[in-house]
Amino acid sequence: MIDDSKVMRRIVAGILEDLGYEVQQAGHGREGLDVLDGGWVPELVCVDWNMPVMDGLQFVSAVRSNPAWRQVTIMMITSESEHCQIVRALAAGAHEYVIKPFTADAIRDKLALLGLLPQGVVL
Amino acid sequence: MSFGDTGERRRASDGPLLISGLIDEETVRSIAQEAWSALVGECEFLVPQPGELPADPVSAWVEVVGPWTGAVVLTCGRSTAEQLSRELLKEHAPSVLDDEDIEDGLGELANVVGGNVKAVLPGPSVLGLPEVGTAPQARADTVRADLLWRGQSLTISVQGSAGALTDPHENHENEVPL
Repeated sequence: MIDDSKVMRRIVAGILEDLGYEVQQAGHGREGLDVLDGGWVPELVCVDWNMPVMDGLQFVSAVRSNPAWRQVTIMMITSESEHCQIVRALAAGAHEYVIKPFTADAIRDKLALLGLLPQGVVL
Repeated sequence: MSFGDTGERRRASDGPLLISGLIDEETVRSIAQEAWSALVGECEFLVPQPGELPADPVSAWVEVVGPWTGAVVLTCGRSTAEQLSRELLKEHAPSVLDDEDIEDGLGELANVVGGNVKAVLPGPSVLGLPEVGTAPQARADTVRADLLWRGQSLTISVQGSAGALTDPHENHENEVPL
């Protein structure tokens, strides 16, 4: 979970942990890449757009340029809600896009669409 | 959110955009209510009613830079900000919230409201990172929603930067490129 807001990281990490995910947190895209470089390659990365140091779009492009991380699913969670921004994120290689504000149900719905809802979890 | 860029294009000879011609108080309240319902709690309501802010107000804001340039500012009392941050975190809230948690929570609410306000304004625009502290001075070009949450006052102002709040080219290295 990559977001410069600690509160937002805790909210999303809480939702994912309640679903059984093990979650690591990073405060910007560069920190997120450092986690991947360290060898911990997750099934799913949730990433904000507007962040210091490295923004979410740059992070998505960096992940997509590395074949070793091809299997990582990326979901952007951001307050950038214009259609053209959504298109840009998906074009860069994000799989899903969640607009803030969101509910826990919205996150679970997106995970279900991505086939990433753990077995036994009922919507 | 179903709001969107109007698609209208402007000429250089056009005068500055005034926020009062772009958004109204009801739309600001509606955007804020959606943020509150999703993030603070399903049954958390913002009542459109002016109240008096406490003596220790704290503000969080995000700047919008584009055809219209200004800031979306959320202001409330310190204890209101603490309660809001606690509600955002719900069961994940630590027993004691430090200043960073409180400012981070209020900043995130300003970010969410600001991002959705940006979506109804003419684009393309960029959104700055949330800042927290003493509110930028309100100017004449302001649309303001005075609200009550759990009986406590808070205001959301969408205020133009005619005369500039800050240098719009300062500290935007991480903003979304146009």
